[in-house]
Amino acid sequence: MIQQRNNIRLFEGVDRVAILLYLLLVLAGLTCVASAGYDDSIEGFFNFRQNHIKQAMWAGVAFVVGLFILLLDSRYYHMYAYYAYVGALIFTAGTIVMPEAIAPITKGAKAWYELGPVRIQPAEFAKIATALAMARMMSNYSFNIHKASDLCRVAMIILLPFAIILLQNDTGSGVVLCSFIFVLYREGLNKWLCIPIIMVATLFIFSFLFTPLILLIVLVLIFTLSSAMMMGGAWRMHAIFLAGIALSAFVLYGLSSIFFDGALSGYQSLIITVIVAIVVAGVYAVRKHITSIFLTLALFIGSMIFVPAADLIFESVLQPHQKERILSFLGIINDPAGIDFNVNQSKIAIGSGGLFGKGFMQGTQSKYFVPEKHTDFIFCTAGEEWGFIGTVIVLSLLCAIILRLMKMGERQQEPFSRIYCYSVAAIFLFHVMVNLGMTVGLMPVMGIPLPFMSYGGSSMIAFTILLFIAIRLDASPSKGAYALN
Amino acid sequence: MANDDVYTRRMILRFIVLLIFGVIACRIGYIQLIDTRYKSMAAGNVLNYEVQYAPRGEVVDRRGEFLVQSMECYDLMVIYRDLPKEGFDTTRLCNILSLSKERLVRELRNARAYPRAPRLIIDYVAKEAKLRFEEHNFQGFYTVQRTARQYPRKIGGNLLGSLGEVSENDIKRGEGEYKKGDYIGKSGLERAYESYLRGDDGVKIMERDRHGAIKGSYMDGMYDTLPVPGLRITSTIDARLQAFAEELMEGKMGAVVAIEPSTGEILVMASSPTFDPDAMVGRQRGNNYMDMLYNPQTPMFNRAVQARYPPGSTFKLVQGLIGLQEGTLTPENAYPCNGGYHWGNVKMGCHAHASPLDLRNAVAQSCNAYFCYVFRNIIENRKFKDVKEGLDRWVEYVHSFGFGRKLGSDFLDEQEGYVPTSERYDRVYRGSWNGHTVLSLSIGQGELGCTPLQMANLAAIVANRGYYYIPHIVKAIEGQDSLDRRFYEKQYTMVDAKHFEPIVEGMWRGVNVPGAGTSSRAYLPGWDVCGKTGTAQNPIGRDHSTFLSFAPKDNPRIAISVYVEHGGFGATTALPIASLLEELYLTDTITRPELVQQVKNLPYALPSRYVRKNDSAKK
Repeated sequence: MIQQRNNIRLFEGVDRVAILLYLLLVLAGLTCVASAGYDDSIEGFFNFRQNHIKQAMWAGVAFVVGLFILLLDSRYYHMYAYYAYVGALIFTAGTIVMPEAIAPITKGAKAWYELGPVRIQPAEFAKIATALAMARMMSNYSFNIHKASDLCRVAMIILLPFAIILLQNDTGSGVVLCSFIFVLYREGLNKWLCIPIIMVATLFIFSFLFTPLILLIVLVLIFTLSSAMMMGGAWRMHAIFLAGIALSAFVLYGLSSIFFDGALSGYQSLIITVIVAIVVAGVYAVRKHITSIFLTLALFIGSMIFVPAADLIFESVLQPHQKERILSFLGIINDPAGIDFNVNQSKIAIGSGGLFGKGFMQGTQSKYFVPEKHTDFIFCTAGEEWGFIGTVIVLSLLCAIILRLMKMGERQQEPFSRIYCYSVAAIFLFHVMVNLGMTVGLMPVMGIPLPFMSYGGSSMIAFTILLFIAIRLDASPSKGAYALN
Repeated sequence: MANDDVYTRRMILRFIVLLIFGVIACRIGYIQLIDTRYKSMAAGNVLNYEVQYAPRGEVVDRRGEFLVQSMECYDLMVIYRDLPKEGFDTTRLCNILSLSKERLVRELRNARAYPRAPRLIIDYVAKEAKLRFEEHNFQGFYTVQRTARQYPRKIGGNLLGSLGEVSENDIKRGEGEYKKGDYIGKSGLERAYESYLRGDDGVKIMERDRHGAIKGSYMDGMYDTLPVPGLRITSTIDARLQAFAEELMEGKMGAVVAIEPSTGEILVMASSPTFDPDAMVGRQRGNNYMDMLYNPQTPMFNRAVQARYPPGSTFKLVQGLIGLQEGTLTPENAYPCNGGYHWGNVKMGCHAHASPLDLRNAVAQSCNAYFCYVFRNIIENRKFKDVKEGLDRWVEYVHSFGFGRKLGSDFLDEQEGYVPTSERYDRVYRGSWNGHTVLSLSIGQGELGCTPLQMANLAAIVANRGYYYIPHIVKAIEGQDSLDRRFYEKQYTMVDAKHFEPIVEGMWRGVNVPGAGTSSRAYLPGWDVCGKTGTAQNPIGRDHSTFLSFAPKDNPRIAISVYVEHGGFGATTALPIASLLEELYLTDTITRPELVQQVKNLPYALPSRYVRKNDSAKK
């Protein structure tokens, strides 16, 4: 056994299907970048200043890094997971405190290191480390997903980098961490707890589209419902609770408008009622020893502070130009031509592809009219030049690699490997969902790259590392050897 | 966790993945195969973005009279690709737009490098020319409406400032607010209030067919945005007074600043020589700019906020106030003056007047010797360890009067002036200096440098008996209730209000008691004018003439500082200008037309360095 461990052969046990899918996706990405990012003013297809040549070099670097990962013993990932986590957090938080010379503000976010010609986005690496740390914690023998304290610790692991990335003002990258709910669900998280979390994540993405009043009402409904589900019925009690909130908010609003000349708005009276209701529910839970209510309440308070507070801060604290920048960063306003303009151009480009597409280097819409055509909107080029057939092939590749990762996870004996594989699948899925969603106009525009295809060294290397660690864990010849370490 | 539960969860997750991909694939299929709208939009149809430039905000004076207006004008643009293949009538185009043929050919050659991109051929096309241009329908050319600045009164060149095209730096700093070809405030009020004045450009998206002709609005204007005009700004300036000040200062170098003491609003801010702000608009802008740049009298240098002048005798007010506050001087203190101040071989000359004088009369008579004693008593006070500490304390006081630092007005070009500190003297004299070395500070000479704005602010401080409001040039912004908070906060000096009485009394006597002072020509019957002359020596020519004044004595309405470089005695040049402006502001009339003539015809010779060698510009 010892001999085997120290002599890992490079491709022994490696999942060749995953590697093949990876290479195909990188190749597809390079082809698109070559077409979309081609700079007419630079002479020569193989000029080193062309985007696709740069991207090819990044892909080469990434592949070498991947090979290096395959050479490392899989135990190291388990051993150093927490160190990597702490290191990555410090690295990520560094951008906030660093002077602007090293960490410049780009598009309102302070999320990049700029060292000469190289730009690094530490959040990409924080994702890897978070996946590792989460896998390590949840694979612990004594870990029990149904225990509130254990659940809180996992939440801490996810929320810490989330908070740091939000502080960088890089909302898009931060929301990616919400995808870990996927993993938690696989590991047995109570399904009625999943729903509110997913809803909150969705609400956050769309929060700027709703008024605080609607948000609050939706939140109250969701949490009451899931609380009822978690307690296995108790419908009547929750119905009374809901009716109580609605009635008292209504009465409060009515009283204030009769006696105090409308001192309270509808939103304010509802919020007051809800706060009172939380206290009442808390007291009730203490007296009846119902812990599940606590969990729901805590989640509810968290999301209630988070969502409308984001809105409140947004409305009152920020300067108009900052607001505009954030809105345009979130895709609510896009200059120069109003809401959804980018998305509309992107849809025109994809739509013009038809069934068979226009052919390599023949696309004009994506090249001339789509902004960020070789980074976030790379999929437009695929759509325009390769048509429906081509996009379905690309979609299948992306879908296949995610399903493959899930399958790899399922065949592990070790929880650590399984959880990690699932985390990678979740991250990929989220990226693909949001990126393609915005490209075809199903989601607001967020600056999230398409794995392996979008132009950019940081994301290429980070995605490769994510994938290859999973492949390495899967290929480990001594499955189970480190479990008792 | 039971095994079948795990199995269900795996299946659900797999189902979710497939569902997400399925939805996306359906959506793409719909866009690419079913909805033909996108295809027709892309198939040869190209969108054309017409920027709708927002009209820039206008500026009015405190009475609502226009200082800056916006005038319609047009940019002529070309898209090279769309030019007719068989050529077009260049002569007619040139005639309509009064454009030289060489220039047109040159611009078209430049445009060929980027055939898809709109390119500017000529700007500031008048409305009539644009209408004639449209009659002829030149393919490939189009006009874009812009607004140009127009100055009905042609006053306040440096005050209002000018616009220019954005630089690369502006674009980078603006983070997407500006694009190439936009205009931005380059100086003066235009620059300080850029964000309010500029408004937001709109865009009109037009759809074009495969031949390049405009087919109509894209998606019925769904993505069009309207331009939001810039906000109108009400300036604190009194246009009538400003014009009169510029008229009186014509041919002289210097600056006039007047402030309303009760609010800090700047009534007049004239820097002379000035320029016609209309010269900075239009096709001749470049030439006019270069001409002014090489003018030795530097008309674009805003003396009112940037010059560093020695304040001369007007600074004695500060000296006296500090002495009173420090307790080293009482109003009854009298010092002798026999033609000046003598100490060993140090001598500070003075003019002939009665002696000895008390503080009130010393202010009125502007006695040099008196304030030498005052200054020495301040900095050589025994409570200080040495004279350095005394001087540093004195500097603190002077700073509190707004000297040696920016006042924080809304005028971005404002400069600090200069107040020397003990460190500076330690450096220059290698540590060995005393009260006599720095004696010239006592009468506002030496290293002291003040901007006319700071001096006017001093007048406002004395008028208010000890505090000021930060001077500002904007009274109101359209749609906003208030200005920045700092303009509403009283800024106190380190001298208490009770000490101001003798100084004000001295300034009043200087004007209103015949023979008691230097400023009697500033007398306006019934208005209780208070004033202080100043005559500042300078190394390169005749003395600078300055006058500092406010009126009326109680509840003052105007505080003014006039500074005329090389104007001689304070009472000769600066005083009548200030007096006439006060009269116009307070009484709305000019009762002394002969004084106006006298000011305009004053013998005035500038040192040779300010005279243009080959005076070709004036031909």
